[in-house]
Amino acid sequence: MAVSEVRTKSLSIHRRRRPVMRVVWDQFSSFLFVVPFLVAFVAFVGYPLVYGFIISLHHWNPIAGDLGYTGLGQYATLFNPNSLFGQQFWTGLKNTVLYVVISVPLLLAFPVTIAYLIYRSPLKSLFRSIFFFPTVLSVTAVTSLWSWILQTQGGAVNNLLQAHVPWLVEQPWAWISIDMATLWWTLGFNMIIAYAGFTQLPQSTIEAAALDGAGSLRTFWSIALPQVRPVLAFITVISTISSFNLFAQSLLMTGGGPGSSTEPLTMVIYNQAFNGMHMGSAAAMSYLMALILAIISLVQYRITRERA
Amino acid sequence: MKMDRVKRTISVVILSIGALCILFPIAWMISTALKPLSDAFDGQLIPSHPTLSNFTALFAPDAAGSVARWLGNSLFVSITVSILVMIIDSMAAFALARLQFFGRTALFYIVVVSLVVPFIALLIPLYLEFANANLLDTYWVLILPYTSNAFGVFLLYQFFLGIPKELEEAAMMDGVNKFQLWRRIMVPLSIPATATLGLLTFMNVYNDFFWPLVATTSQDMRTMTVGVQLMAVGQYNTNASLLMALTLCSVIPMVLAFLFAQKQLTQGIATTGTNL
Repeated sequence: MAVSEVRTKSLSIHRRRRPVMRVVWDQFSSFLFVVPFLVAFVAFVGYPLVYGFIISLHHWNPIAGDLGYTGLGQYATLFNPNSLFGQQFWTGLKNTVLYVVISVPLLLAFPVTIAYLIYRSPLKSLFRSIFFFPTVLSVTAVTSLWSWILQTQGGAVNNLLQAHVPWLVEQPWAWISIDMATLWWTLGFNMIIAYAGFTQLPQSTIEAAALDGAGSLRTFWSIALPQVRPVLAFITVISTISSFNLFAQSLLMTGGGPGSSTEPLTMVIYNQAFNGMHMGSAAAMSYLMALILAIISLVQYRITRERA
Repeated sequence: MKMDRVKRTISVVILSIGALCILFPIAWMISTALKPLSDAFDGQLIPSHPTLSNFTALFAPDAAGSVARWLGNSLFVSITVSILVMIIDSMAAFALARLQFFGRTALFYIVVVSLVVPFIALLIPLYLEFANANLLDTYWVLILPYTSNAFGVFLLYQFFLGIPKELEEAAMMDGVNKFQLWRRIMVPLSIPATATLGLLTFMNVYNDFFWPLVATTSQDMRTMTVGVQLMAVGQYNTNASLLMALTLCSVIPMVLAFLFAQKQLTQGIATTGTNL
């Protein structure tokens, strides 16, 4: 009797506690699933973001460490056209923006056109494979082989054209070379995305257009394209971001030259940090660059969203 | 109908010209890799004295670069990151899609933040973080930063949302706990999507240049991608044959992936465009 009474008492306590404990355990065990990701995020994104900002507020040498607090001074320097770092920053930014403005329309027009052509042609698999192939190569493989075929003397391109174009050593050929190599490389990526967009077009729309007497060009421009606008917007945004991050093509193909005319902002930051040892200033530059990129991406996103 | 055929022929012609432009550089890369240096500038697409000596030279003990080591490093790092990412992202995506927990909304924002932060902002602090921990120039620095990639979380989250709830409910009634639910039911169901994630992750890590360039200093720890650049500006700068052979070697793993898993790759890339 006493035992069962005790039992009943303790059971009723447990019955009162159990739902709470169960909920807590339920939540906690669910939370455990995201812990690995959270740890990775905090360790390799969250903490570095804060740490990087702190670094940008100091003179920082990669080996010696903190060399003195500067506050927002290193950011202010970047806006000073008379300072060395300011000039380097704006040269790099100018080069990067120039590259973005040239390359993004190309990276939109060519892949989309080719995707549409493949969509309307036979031999789809073959062409898709061929155009997609360069995308799986690394950027250094691409730049290494394009540097080879663009050699002024004896390069395959000049041999083919029977010309003597100074592809990698003079402007405007230097930028053209970088653009050609990048277009060759990433065309496939954007093409696949555009192609997926086209395959979602209802076949009836295209047929209706043909019945109404629309020519192929008209069908492409006025009917197919508007329907895939979200995909076009997406391609524009990702191409802008990736063009903004131009680094390896300049480093390997032209070394930033001639002069520093093809030196993008990433390269300026890289040189500042690892050759010049001015990590604080480089960090400030990289944060300012990230801010500019964020603003541009946001504006693009808003614009493309509205039109859709 | 005839107009149709004419138009299609024109299409095919245009596409063929484009395809030739794509294949042209690759043909020259292979051609040069198979030529002795003396023939490299002869301007002939088909090598007159084809040879494999460049490839043997690359892997010879007295070679300028540690090509075998680079290849091994790249493969080891890429495969390890792929496996880690598949596990970490699958767990997180499953929790986001199907479980309730404190801070779930915050986690969504964290995933989005993780996707939009540009690498350039993380470059310097990540470098210093690993420098302070004395982990530069090791496999740790080559593997760990990639594990925070949230792309897979997003991809698998979409996938898990699409799995019918009845499956889970049936499993729960059979008395499995959450972990078993994930491991025995969710994971097998998500194999196509997870495999695609693994493949895309492998490609991105294998081909990555900027971070391995900065994170490694000793020749033996370099990855294949960085090794190609080092040799291109260094010892193979004047030896086109060796450089092209090295370049060709560097792309072989991805070419194999392309040949065997092209469908997976293209589908993975296509879904980012239509979902994001």
